Amino acid sequence: MRRSIGIALALLLGAAVVVAVVLGNGAGDPAIVRGVIGSEKKPFFDDPRVRAAFEKHGLRVEADTAGSRQIATEVNLDDYAFAFPSSLPAAEKIRKDRGVTRLFSPFHSPMAVATFEPIADVLARAGLVRDSGRGYQVLDIAGYLDLAAKGTRWDELPGNTSYPARKRVLLTTTDVRTSNSAAMYLAMTSYVANGEDVVTTAAQVPEVAGRIAPVFLDQGYSQSSTEAPFEDYLVMGSGKTPMVVVYEAQYLSRLFAGDGSITPEMRLLYPSPTVLSKHTLVPFTEQANEVGRLLTEDPELRGLAAQYGFRTADPEAFTDLAARHRAPIARDLVDVVEPPAYDRMEQLITAIERLYADGAVPQAEGGS
Amino acid sequence: MTAPPRRITLGAARRPVTAGRPRPVRRPLLGPVLALALVLGLAGCGPDDIGDDPDTLRILAGSEVKDLEPMLARSGVKVKISYTGTLDGAEQVAGGGADGKYDAVWFSSNRYLSLIDGASARLSTQTKIMASPVLLGLNAAKARELGWQDGKATWEQIATAAREGRFTFGMANPASSNSGFSALVGVAAALSDAGEALDAAQVSAVTPELKEFFSAQRLTAGSSGWLADAYTRQGGVDGIVNYESVLLGMKGLTLVYPGDGVVTADYPLTLLASAPPEKRELYGKLTAWLRTPDTQREIMTTTHRRPAVPEVRPGPEFGPAPLLELPFPNRRAAADRLITAYLDEARVPAHALFVLDTSGSMQGERIEALREALVMLTGADRSASGTFSRFRSRETVTMIPFSGGVGTSRTFKLPEGDPGPVLEEIKGYAEGLGADGGTAIYDGLRAAYSESLRADPKHYTSVVLMTDGENTDGASFEDFRRLYEMLPAGIRPRTFVVLFGESDVEEMNKVAELTGGAVFDARDSSLAAAFKEIRGYQ
Repeated sequence: MRRSIGIALALLLGAAVVVAVVLGNGAGDPAIVRGVIGSEKKPFFDDPRVRAAFEKHGLRVEADTAGSRQIATEVNLDDYAFAFPSSLPAAEKIRKDRGVTRLFSPFHSPMAVATFEPIADVLARAGLVRDSGRGYQVLDIAGYLDLAAKGTRWDELPGNTSYPARKRVLLTTTDVRTSNSAAMYLAMTSYVANGEDVVTTAAQVPEVAGRIAPVFLDQGYSQSSTEAPFEDYLVMGSGKTPMVVVYEAQYLSRLFAGDGSITPEMRLLYPSPTVLSKHTLVPFTEQANEVGRLLTEDPELRGLAAQYGFRTADPEAFTDLAARHRAPIARDLVDVVEPPAYDRMEQLITAIERLYADGAVPQAEGGS
Repeated sequence: MTAPPRRITLGAARRPVTAGRPRPVRRPLLGPVLALALVLGLAGCGPDDIGDDPDTLRILAGSEVKDLEPMLARSGVKVKISYTGTLDGAEQVAGGGADGKYDAVWFSSNRYLSLIDGASARLSTQTKIMASPVLLGLNAAKARELGWQDGKATWEQIATAAREGRFTFGMANPASSNSGFSALVGVAAALSDAGEALDAAQVSAVTPELKEFFSAQRLTAGSSGWLADAYTRQGGVDGIVNYESVLLGMKGLTLVYPGDGVVTADYPLTLLASAPPEKRELYGKLTAWLRTPDTQREIMTTTHRRPAVPEVRPGPEFGPAPLLELPFPNRRAAADRLITAYLDEARVPAHALFVLDTSGSMQGERIEALREALVMLTGADRSASGTFSRFRSRETVTMIPFSGGVGTSRTFKLPEGDPGPVLEEIKGYAEGLGADGGTAIYDGLRAAYSESLRADPKHYTSVVLMTDGENTDGASFEDFRRLYEMLPAGIRPRTFVVLFGESDVEEMNKVAELTGGAVFDARDSSLAAAFKEIRGYQ
């Protein structure tokens, strides 16, 4: 009995496959375009409205996620029609490696810090957080680096009764060896550690890397993709993630969605200085080219991107949404620095990577 | 990489098994006779049985997620799950052994895995499905006595009570179980003065405190599921360290939420980078379904795990305050140093008694397999999991060979320092094992229990019984039972039975049931893998 049902099902499925194949060949079933993207853009690509917008143009975009540096170095890009890392330098690297001529930078987002009101208050008392006077709050990176260098714990901050944890005061980031958001954080901290200047020469790398490495290494285990620690922040709260480096877009997309995940206690801070993350698509096929073009030009997709908190070539969509949701955003960021060029960035990351490895002598005899 | 040994249990039809946490709801249905079967859970097929089918997502998973398998049937995605131990699985994935055989992995945490060189390149998308911190559950009376009835205490206070001998607890072995490892990381981080993630030097500095803490550990286990069931059936300790989800599913426990922090399992369902596009699509569908608010709510109410999406807020059963999460080491050396410090310095040292069948039927390949299995435990298995499962410093190992009668037993004491010379002795002993004569199983077992009476009470004593046939000589099972029942309850060691060759399955199950042990089936897999797995229980 059961077997006959099985056979019937198999026949049905077989029929379905045949139908699909016939349709696929005949009547413009959307072409599947598979890309590898930074995890923070996954919810955007999964949105049924975004999918529908692409299907209008005969495309179905399927996206796997990986850290941007992984995309640039480890991921086998032959499996994909496009790569969509979260930074221009990573995209440039892929373009060079793959001999691609065109790039699309359809949206960008400044780096921000998501935290909680009691923690922002504690930081304000410690002189690290101040009001910009223009409707948003600013986190002073130089002051933060000083505090971190001293190994300060939360329970050592003056007047801190609201978060007396015996943990170091450290911003949570992703793993700088794999993920772009941590690399963007590296860009801003290296700027400060280099005497308020972009790291431009190899000679500057060792000292700067040595100075900022502890803010990565002392965190302990870091996750590889940006969506993960932000989700921890939303779900597990200040116990796990008192303050986390995010793309502004991650925070705003939740706020704009009005899904209740941004609670009244949550706060968005802008680091000073900050950097812009330019999400950049590298197409390997003609269809992927079309995906890049649509993301950049299609008004519907641009509008949807704004709903996901991205700043696009159409600033009005973004500022309207922010005004409607009373988001404490910085309309025009003044204190924005450029990230180091790809090679310098790689050198900085490699220097920190080496410090990770120094502690990683395999314990197991003959281990990996 | 060897396949995990298949374990069977009471009487049962041959069901391939790995350790797993049974779903609480199933327990009453299956009844006490199957208690052991529940302890060990049921597993999927070994890797060899996995044919590929484009419609099926093949997942290599930790036994901790076993309880979600029934729910997955409603996901609309066909799923085939194979279970393995955390560390074994991590090594398999990092070494590329999972590529092509599986499409995704699902452990309670990817943290240790990610520390292994080369592992991150093998992983693609990671999607957290749920969360559960590792906590201490104490019986309510003891919690009151210690003043922790409101669930509030710090690891520091818990360590003080442990040092003063005011309570005892059970915990899974950190080298074989994620819950044990998470607890070890949490305790070490909390007892250390450092506010950052521990490095190897800080691990050494905190080892004396760890030793005091673990002096109260009187029960160990190879899996969190077996630990919970051993505690439920026999008690013997005042509480256990386990996932919040497991503890919430048990009766009469007060959950202690350490105020100085915990380590939380986040169960990331993780696509392997080697998975082909059609499997990626299945993965996307399955994770999307698992993260819908309805599924998340169902996971929360039926398995007591915390939701992974902000749309579903955790219910009141999970306690009010946000839990402080302790930093996790980001270097493999620190993690491995921590496990080593636990095994060689902090834990109550083991006394392992091996009752070994050297009867005539063992001649040839079988005795060779036994020699090899024992030699592996002297350090021949050079993988990290092999290193952790070898005989460790401070441990006592007693070999009791039997055939038609009991042979000469031999005891090896590994010193605190370099265990090398004694490991060599054990290796030499194992290589010299021969096979001849009848099978006097219970004479061998009785000799082990008599020997255990002389064991150092400061050791954690347990027995392994390995036999390939039926009892032909000497005492019967009933004779053994009488001896066993005459022993004072507090000092009766558990017997972990390895089935091999033509073992009498029913009677071997009785031995395990009587002594609170478990049965490991090495009939269709390697004896070495079974021995390695049993090491988690010693």
